[in-house]
Amino acid sequence: MKTSFWKAGHTPTLLSSFLYFDLSFMVWVLLGPLAVQMATDLHLTPAQKGLMVATPVLAGALLRIVMGVLVDQIKPKMAGLIGQMIVIASLLIAWLHGIQTFQHALLLGLGLGFAGAAFAVALPLASRWYPPEHQGTALGIAGAGNSGTVFAALFAPSLAVAYGWNNVFGLALIPLGIALAAYMIFAKDSPDTPPAKSLSQYLAILKDKDAWWFMFFYSVTFGGFVGLASSLTIYFNDLYALGPVKAGYCTAACVFAGSLVRPIGGLMADRIGGVRTLLTTYTIAAILLFIMSFGQPTYVMALIVIIPTMAVLGMGNGAVFQLVPQRFRKEIGVMTGLVGMAGGVGGFYLAASLGYFKQSTGSYQMGLMIFATLAVIATIGLMGVKTRWRTTWGSATATTAKV
Amino acid sequence: MPLKFEIGQSSLTGPRERNEDYIGVVTPENAQLSTKGALIAVADGVSGNAGGGEASEMTVRTVSADYYATPDTWQPPAALDKVITAANRWLISQANANRDLAGMATTLSLLILRGQRYYSAHVGDTRIYLLRDGALKQLTTDHVWDRPDMRHVLKRAVGLDAHLAIDFAEGALQVGDVFALMSDGVWEALGEKAIHEGLSKFNSAQMVAEYLTKTALNLQSADNSTAVIVKITELGADSLSERIADGKHLALPPKLCVGELIDDFEVIEILHESRASLLYKVRQIETNQIFVLKTLQPLLANDLESCNGLLNEEWLGKRVVSQYVPQVLPLSLEKRSKLYFVMSWHEGATLQQRLDSGHYFTVAGTAKIGIDLLRGIGALHRLSIIHRDIKPANVHQASDQRLRILDLGVALNSTDITEVIQNPGTPSFMAPELFEGQSANAQTDIYAAGVTLYHLLTRKYPYGEIEPFQHPKFGEPTPLTRYRPDIPYWLENIVLKAVARDADKRFETAEEMLHALEVGELKPLLAPARTPLIARARLVKWQWIAIFSFIINILLVYLLVVS
Repeated sequence: MKTSFWKAGHTPTLLSSFLYFDLSFMVWVLLGPLAVQMATDLHLTPAQKGLMVATPVLAGALLRIVMGVLVDQIKPKMAGLIGQMIVIASLLIAWLHGIQTFQHALLLGLGLGFAGAAFAVALPLASRWYPPEHQGTALGIAGAGNSGTVFAALFAPSLAVAYGWNNVFGLALIPLGIALAAYMIFAKDSPDTPPAKSLSQYLAILKDKDAWWFMFFYSVTFGGFVGLASSLTIYFNDLYALGPVKAGYCTAACVFAGSLVRPIGGLMADRIGGVRTLLTTYTIAAILLFIMSFGQPTYVMALIVIIPTMAVLGMGNGAVFQLVPQRFRKEIGVMTGLVGMAGGVGGFYLAASLGYFKQSTGSYQMGLMIFATLAVIATIGLMGVKTRWRTTWGSATATTAKV
Repeated sequence: MPLKFEIGQSSLTGPRERNEDYIGVVTPENAQLSTKGALIAVADGVSGNAGGGEASEMTVRTVSADYYATPDTWQPPAALDKVITAANRWLISQANANRDLAGMATTLSLLILRGQRYYSAHVGDTRIYLLRDGALKQLTTDHVWDRPDMRHVLKRAVGLDAHLAIDFAEGALQVGDVFALMSDGVWEALGEKAIHEGLSKFNSAQMVAEYLTKTALNLQSADNSTAVIVKITELGADSLSERIADGKHLALPPKLCVGELIDDFEVIEILHESRASLLYKVRQIETNQIFVLKTLQPLLANDLESCNGLLNEEWLGKRVVSQYVPQVLPLSLEKRSKLYFVMSWHEGATLQQRLDSGHYFTVAGTAKIGIDLLRGIGALHRLSIIHRDIKPANVHQASDQRLRILDLGVALNSTDITEVIQNPGTPSFMAPELFEGQSANAQTDIYAAGVTLYHLLTRKYPYGEIEPFQHPKFGEPTPLTRYRPDIPYWLENIVLKAVARDADKRFETAEEMLHALEVGELKPLLAPARTPLIARARLVKWQWIAIFSFIINILLVYLLVVS
């Protein structure tokens, strides 16, 4: 007998971790939409702009592993609390003290990285409450917090226009404070804790070729998604001279498309096969990125290219995460951390490289072209995976052990 | 750790002339105890006819001897069914041959204790009781006519009828369980209450048995009185862990290079390397013979499941003595310093290797491969082994054209699976019902054999290639003639029947498909009926009907309002 989903786990924890995750993601990419205004005031070069928006992405990626270890050592709730405190503290300092230099912005980016690492806390916090048959739903609900990235792009620029960008950091503290309060009151650690993951487990999984490929796959799909999400405001502002608010709206539309289709990617992978789905998404993504790299004459035409690009990357995210838990059934905890980290690294690379090439060559073409090439390499990698996977799956004792 | 129990038995003639009850107790040791278990049987020869005593003795003797001669891979109920049915046939033929033995028959109740479970088989009115946690339970139903004057007339007995229906039951054992098998002379005289008291009266099983039979006779029982008492003192390991217990201490060998030595074997060539397994071609130094050595990737050293799987595979391989399967070298575990096993090597190539090298499979050649393949699958199924991974890569064609089925790595040999976590296999060759979580059976192997033939002929799959971790939708299989018009219809129909989406439209047994292939063109199968659209659209049709009727209703309401 399967119990109903709402009775099975701990709903308050699930909802409060969703809230925590959602708002964390919102502030994680906060610098992206604000970059236009910040850059004007701080007199940043394009490369610095790129680096500034990329820093939280990279910090978030690496801190995911740190937070993952913390979750194992001191329980998820405590780890989440520490993470939130650091984020709130760095926003508070940024608000009160002000961001005067590029270095300050990078330091803030580092602090916001902890918000990006919320992934590694919120998901185990919620999913550990649920029995295996409801894990998927629980992860889906908590993981819907990805949508937070949309809010940042939607609201941050207009708030910045109205109150000044420095005050946006202060305003962001309001929802964060609410989420923290809800988290303190409602979130509870699940009674059963899986054993802590050791460093040797991380090393052992890296001996598997598939693990490297999946990290690469995710660094292309998620990296593309996050990298573009962080840089699109700058991109629209730069190429089409859109005001920060309008550029923010355009970014929000793209990000929204990308996060909305993520479950569709998962479903497609389930129905027609993950490798097949990824092959399609990478091929389309490579073509679209290639087209995008030539730069469209108007922002409407650019949107026509970028929205499908983000959608395809979002579907790729869903497809990768349909495969990872099944392929790495036993090492899922370790593997989620590694794959997530790889995704962040990819995002950092894309955002930073766009800024770097803008400065050195004067256009974004080179950066986008290289990223399109990465998608092509991923396609080639998938071919290898496809042939390697034409083999026997599962083991005999998996079924007979329960005799 | 083996199963431990204590047995007490007593059989008294009582007022009758002769004792027509018969007790059989077989308590094997070591490996046989874990594979076959201990057998305790009580038979009560039907009195009133001549030969009751002979019937009971012969039945118990043949059954207890034959049971241990059945293949180790058979589960106890299947094995018991075979041997008791045979004993029944033998008894009837004896009765027909000898006039003075006419009408000889006997009841039979027997108990197999193996590992952590008991299995019972029962015909007639000898009873099996189980005393557990102070509660007495009768495990058997008496096969007698339910009328006061016919309480002693058996409905079923060994020797009574050519068609013998046997009651089988099984359950988990617990430490402290007391099983009591007793003839009607005992249970009728004592009654349930006295039996219950008697069973807990003494600690020693022997004393209990003697007490029960003596008390029965004291209570004026007119029949022979026989009782066997079994007390479970310690449980064994479950059957899978017993199989692999001996090899548990062995570690996986590191990756070997050509020329390296492992125990008595020298590596000549690395034959195959997959995600999990490693196969080497090796030469035994002592005999200079070539063998295949199978082990696991060193990466899996800590993966207990895979290591157990390898030991299980060796155990199974040793029990399949067939020309369709490579033979496992009986190498004692003491001679091995590492975890591996060795099997016979055959010159030739797998069908997958032939496909890869561009071999063209002719219709006649494929039909012959199909015949051999199904003979092999049939041989495995007769040992109640489900291969679960039939595919071209696992079918080897030797240079002398002899076909062998390789890799029992994920083979299933146990009917009592309670929970299927994930069906192992190669997705494109797995039957639709396996994706729904059903466990593999003979028909899923036949499906895989059908896909194998399909793939050899067309290099395509009937439902398209299926990826791992995919949950495909199965439509209609593509006819082979679409890819290769030279395929005759009789062969196409056989292959399409084997790969039918619904299990009940497939061949039921490997032998049925084998027969269809053998008669081939002479007696062709009918083409599978096309599934009409209405049947193909399972749930969707009802949804459409609902939508349609909803629209009509809205329309009617509208018309009502308008009028």
